[in-house]
Amino acid sequence: MAKNKVFLGLYGSGKTEISINFAMKNRGDGTQVAIADVDVTASYFRVREFKHMLEQNGIRVLAPAEAFMKADLPLIDASVIGYLQNPDYLVVLDVGGDEKGSIVLGSLKEYLSDADVYFVVNVRRPFCETAEKICGHIERIQRAASIKVKYLVNNSNLASQTTVDVVKEGEEIVKEVSKMMSIPVAFNVVAEPLEYKGEFETFRIKRYLIGKEEPS
Amino acid sequence: MKKIMMKGTEAIGEAAIIAGCRNFFGYPITPQNELTEYMARRLPEVGGCFLQAESEVAAVNMIYGAASVGKRAMTSTSSPGFSLMQEGISYIACAQLPAVFVNVVRGGPGLGDIQPSQGDYFQATKGGGHGDYRLIVLAPSTVQEAVTLTELAFELADKYRNPALILADGLLGQMMEPVEIEEKQVSYDNSSWALTGAKDRPPRKVTSFNIDPYGLEKMNLQLQEKYRKMEQEEPRWEEFQTEDAEILLAAYGTVGRICKSVVKIAREAGLKVGLFRPITLYPYPYSPLEELAKRVSMILTVEMSSGQMLEDVKLAALRLTRIEFYGRMAGVVPTPGEIFEHLMQLVRRR
Repeated sequence: MAKNKVFLGLYGSGKTEISINFAMKNRGDGTQVAIADVDVTASYFRVREFKHMLEQNGIRVLAPAEAFMKADLPLIDASVIGYLQNPDYLVVLDVGGDEKGSIVLGSLKEYLSDADVYFVVNVRRPFCETAEKICGHIERIQRAASIKVKYLVNNSNLASQTTVDVVKEGEEIVKEVSKMMSIPVAFNVVAEPLEYKGEFETFRIKRYLIGKEEPS
Repeated sequence: MKKIMMKGTEAIGEAAIIAGCRNFFGYPITPQNELTEYMARRLPEVGGCFLQAESEVAAVNMIYGAASVGKRAMTSTSSPGFSLMQEGISYIACAQLPAVFVNVVRGGPGLGDIQPSQGDYFQATKGGGHGDYRLIVLAPSTVQEAVTLTELAFELADKYRNPALILADGLLGQMMEPVEIEEKQVSYDNSSWALTGAKDRPPRKVTSFNIDPYGLEKMNLQLQEKYRKMEQEEPRWEEFQTEDAEILLAAYGTVGRICKSVVKIAREAGLKVGLFRPITLYPYPYSPLEELAKRVSMILTVEMSSGQMLEDVKLAALRLTRIEFYGRMAGVVPTPGEIFEHLMQLVRRR
């Protein structure tokens, strides 16, 4: 496994949620971890909003300087390149959505030649209903990012309304994508407290970005 | 019907398409760009027209054009962009044309910031442009409700031949929730007034111009008659745990849903608190609020602005009960905890 991890996908596919969980899990295992917010498209719900929590857990957060954190400026912290080259750190790159967000990877390309690149899929998001459509997105985003996707991630979910069937449905479609593009599936994402054992490894996560749902 | 995860902006876009909107003209501004992007991708799939205008001023006038020929048209923007559209909206209102606007409000005034706000309430409900006109203003508080209200916005805009506005805020625009969007057969008939070519009929005129003051006043009276009818027939609101409420929270949109959590916290603490959530901000549901005001000891209005809706609460409830206010501005979103704390201070001060 490479020390640098990149999460790509469409808007709202769950890249940030998975990046945070991925960083937390590896830090928990005793690894030195840095998480880089290189999202230049989203205006809310970015890694930088969880800076305090991540730092308290001993994770280095590479985000724009405090003064620019709430700006919609395409800023990438200069320290990212250093950490990508630092053999002591596992680096998680949370990339912005779609090809517009992924385009920033072009500037980091020479440091990412051996990186593990994950493509995150939620089949319950618009434009992701079929394997064909998802393959199209992967091709488009690979071109924009000048990078090859190494693994697929099934993150099919409906937030707190996720059922086993939703994850399973995602698994089936992602499996099809895997066959069509010859890209292996890394894992199914399953958020607490749901239980699911599928064909692929399960990556259990806690949802940090949710928390404003309507009380019944 | 399969549920999918959508951002508020995307859900508004899809709902517009379901409602038969095939014309979208817009100009980018954060935090609503996902809506323009969604329409740019979706409209070509359904044979519609997406056009990125050169400015908000251009976009609103493109809407004016599309509406003149009787087509369902929509644009979306955020606060400073909505200010730029005001002149065109006033023209559209005077010309009595249906059109749907979306303002995903951000912190202001001025260029402000890109965080969620409700600071455009006055502009939306009291006429942001010039002249005696009104917008139909709908304020969703969940992504699912954004779907329903977008469809309703097109219906009401057609029914009254008047522009309608979805007043959202950055948070509602950006948050994702599971939604169900039902396919519908939509038919609408604007053939009695739309500019469709004057072959075999007398020519029609769409205008907001009349140099004769008596003629212009007549146009104004028609508008006023329409607004009185809206005020009679269209107010919509939600009451949450108001049956036995002794204290009432009044809040709309995102703050409305935050206040639902406050109601829950307060009830766990033994306080009988309910929520009044206006859904139409114009026409404002004055009467039901007036009725509730007679039964409660206090109304606490909560906003992400300086006390704008507060003025409408006072119009409904002044002298009927104690009226208090709590607000955050400039893109700061109040938490249920801080609202509850403020409520407790007020209760103790009684």
